[in-house]
Amino acid sequence: MLSQIAQKHADACRFCWMCRHLCPVGLQTGKEANTPRAKGLQLSLTQRGSASFDANMAEGMYECLLCDACTNDCVTGFEPPLYIREARTQAMVEDIAPAPVVQVLDNIERTGNIYGEEKPTFPSKDNAEVLLYVGEVAACRVPQLAEAYMRLLDKAGISYMTLEQEPPSGAMLGDLIGFTQEVQDQGAACVKALDASGADTVIVLDSYDAAVMRQRWPEWGLSAKAQIITATAFLDQLVQEGKLKLRSLNQTATYHDDSRAARTLQEFEPPRALLAAAGIALSEMFLHRDLAKCCGSSLANAYMPQITLLTAQGRWHDALRTQAQLLVTTCPQSMELLGRAVPQDMELIDLYTLLERACE
Amino acid sequence: MQAKAFMRDMILSELEDIVGVENVSTGDSEMLAYGVDYFWIGRMWADRGQKLPVPEFVVRPKSAEEISRLLKVANYYKIPVHTWGGGSGSQGGALAMAGGITLDTKRMNKLIEIDEKSRTITAEAGMVFQQLEWYANERGYSCMHIPSCLTCGTVGGALAHRGIGIMSSKYGKIDDQCLQMEIVLPNGDIIETLPVPKHAAGPDLNQIFIGSEGTLGIITKATFKLFEQPESRQFRAFMFPNLTEGLAAGRDIMQKIKPSIMRLYDEAETTSIIKKIIDVEEKGNFMNVALEGIRRIVDIEMEILCEICEKHGGRDMGSEYGERWYDNRITFFYPGHIMDIPQMFGTMDTVSDYKNAEKIYWAMKNAIESNFPGVRFIAHCSHWYEWGTMIYDRFILDTPPQDPDEAIRLHNQIWNTGVRAAMANGGVINDHHGIGLKLSRLMKEQYGPAMQVFEGLKKSLDPNGIMNPYKLGL
Repeated sequence: MLSQIAQKHADACRFCWMCRHLCPVGLQTGKEANTPRAKGLQLSLTQRGSASFDANMAEGMYECLLCDACTNDCVTGFEPPLYIREARTQAMVEDIAPAPVVQVLDNIERTGNIYGEEKPTFPSKDNAEVLLYVGEVAACRVPQLAEAYMRLLDKAGISYMTLEQEPPSGAMLGDLIGFTQEVQDQGAACVKALDASGADTVIVLDSYDAAVMRQRWPEWGLSAKAQIITATAFLDQLVQEGKLKLRSLNQTATYHDDSRAARTLQEFEPPRALLAAAGIALSEMFLHRDLAKCCGSSLANAYMPQITLLTAQGRWHDALRTQAQLLVTTCPQSMELLGRAVPQDMELIDLYTLLERACE
Repeated sequence: MQAKAFMRDMILSELEDIVGVENVSTGDSEMLAYGVDYFWIGRMWADRGQKLPVPEFVVRPKSAEEISRLLKVANYYKIPVHTWGGGSGSQGGALAMAGGITLDTKRMNKLIEIDEKSRTITAEAGMVFQQLEWYANERGYSCMHIPSCLTCGTVGGALAHRGIGIMSSKYGKIDDQCLQMEIVLPNGDIIETLPVPKHAAGPDLNQIFIGSEGTLGIITKATFKLFEQPESRQFRAFMFPNLTEGLAAGRDIMQKIKPSIMRLYDEAETTSIIKKIIDVEEKGNFMNVALEGIRRIVDIEMEILCEICEKHGGRDMGSEYGERWYDNRITFFYPGHIMDIPQMFGTMDTVSDYKNAEKIYWAMKNAIESNFPGVRFIAHCSHWYEWGTMIYDRFILDTPPQDPDEAIRLHNQIWNTGVRAAMANGGVINDHHGIGLKLSRLMKEQYGPAMQVFEGLKKSLDPNGIMNPYKLGL
């Protein structure tokens, strides 16, 4: 059922307890099954023929955010998401994935996004050199983030375009069913659309998309002609080049690093530099940068909203201890998730809306 | 438990009524996660494709009150209850060998209070200890309980088996660090130990339940000491010509100063594991010491340390090796660095006074190596007291029998031989891993007639014998 490499990783993890303290799902649900060790053990037992890969096990494989906190902690380089993704593939193949997961898959197949909705479009110029890849979460659930970003580009004098029919990058489907050929085909279609736009720079708003474009596409032999850059890194360049001038807001905030920006892209400095440029004093959460605790993903939220409410609450618990009353993030998915559980007297804001306030 | 027809469903409904439907599990696959802890036999059993010892129900309560109600139900139906924290114990203490209920405490993970005035921290017992340490670190303190299972064991788990951390020689064991606890007794009563642990109000209630491994009740809340982070932490390594001098140096050090870390390795471990991790390329007995606290005091302690070690023939190797060990202190426990299946292995950590320590080491080494050809024996002393030290003896067999029953038989014979050699020479059955299922059979040999004190407590507190059966010799 598992590839040889995934089997090796599952076998290594099955008797290792070291990383559970970082699992956002395990910490909130308290379930032993929600530890990398347990998932590795279960799959290892199925490979040995002493357990069945049944619906109960499949359900457990979906109770994971694929946030890579466990991988990041592993001194010897084992990667639980590797075998968890492959187990999801198997769950789909064997038709034992939980019904809400299958519903999300249906949504993606029908509409290209996890919500099963028509994705809104945004105003666009023709033949610009810069393309803004909005992504489905920002488009469908956090449009204010995308719009604020576009206004910042306008202020900086950047001519940009968006795609009227923006194809998915493969990030969501890859997390849902593993990196199958179908997912790679999605990636290829996205590359084709980006290339066809003629843009030489693609700004990516959602780090989940940026992560798959930067990390997975090359593994699949895919390569876009344009340079791919995260929205935050691009904005940081504009500020450094003096194209966007910011005044001091003289506030204190804490910053949430989302898991893909933190652990796949390892992009920590641009948002902090932007906050500093806007006069925001940063009060860091204890777990930040590559240790940041995942608040949940929009995909997981679509099929297990009870658990992602808990993971969002878990991250707010970290934020509350900083004494800051403002939590800033650049991640549309974090905006959707954290937005479900904003504590009293706290404000959640995306970085771009905040920077707009600081624009001179 | 033998529930007929729909009786199982009737019990399930009662459990769900207490903790909520979403916090009771019965799925076959989910049970597997509770079928293996760190105990070698459990791991071997799983590796060989055998049926795991799993519970019938897993419940995840959120409060002492819910646990109280659960225990009342369990007592009524006489269902065994096994408490599970991180499941990282090496003695099989958390395994549901009698089936029934496994009570997973990890939802009880709230920080209750940090009292900076008293320098204490209080949390629920299901919190992973690393989380507790991070809460302390956020305010500039530390609990100074830094075991290898820091990231995986829970607060309750550390207490249940009398755990210890690498800083114990200065800051104490968990039983020194814990000030107060809340416990749910088997009958459902919720009790608290006295507000402070030092008093003249009878025997120490804390120490009755610390180390009781879930056989006398369930620890639900605990208060620990907080320590200021040290201004300075300095390392020094030494190479001693033999164990005798190394042990004598360790004793003298403990009499004069307070190292936080002090680890003395026998030659077999010096030339194997230590060589692999920190690249020490010589024979002898490697010792790594850390001193910490106020810099001025540490500087003076360092002078005294060097004087003592020189007196006992310890060659000063500088600070680098100690720092390298400290940087790699967790690396030892990750896959690829730690002993693992298919090897057979075990840690017979014993503790004794200085008079007997070396005698015990040689008695165990000789007993194991002469009776079990092919079995290697390595050891180090890593927790020191004013009166004695712990000997962390490990045996390793690279190619154990394939047949699981035969493997268990050999495993238990090695353990019996090693532990009996320790006890016969004045050692104690275990220093800090606990008893669990692994050593349960040897408790009566260790305690003799004194065992009736524990048996009396068990009979009085748990008359139906539902609490973690087959563990701790009770």
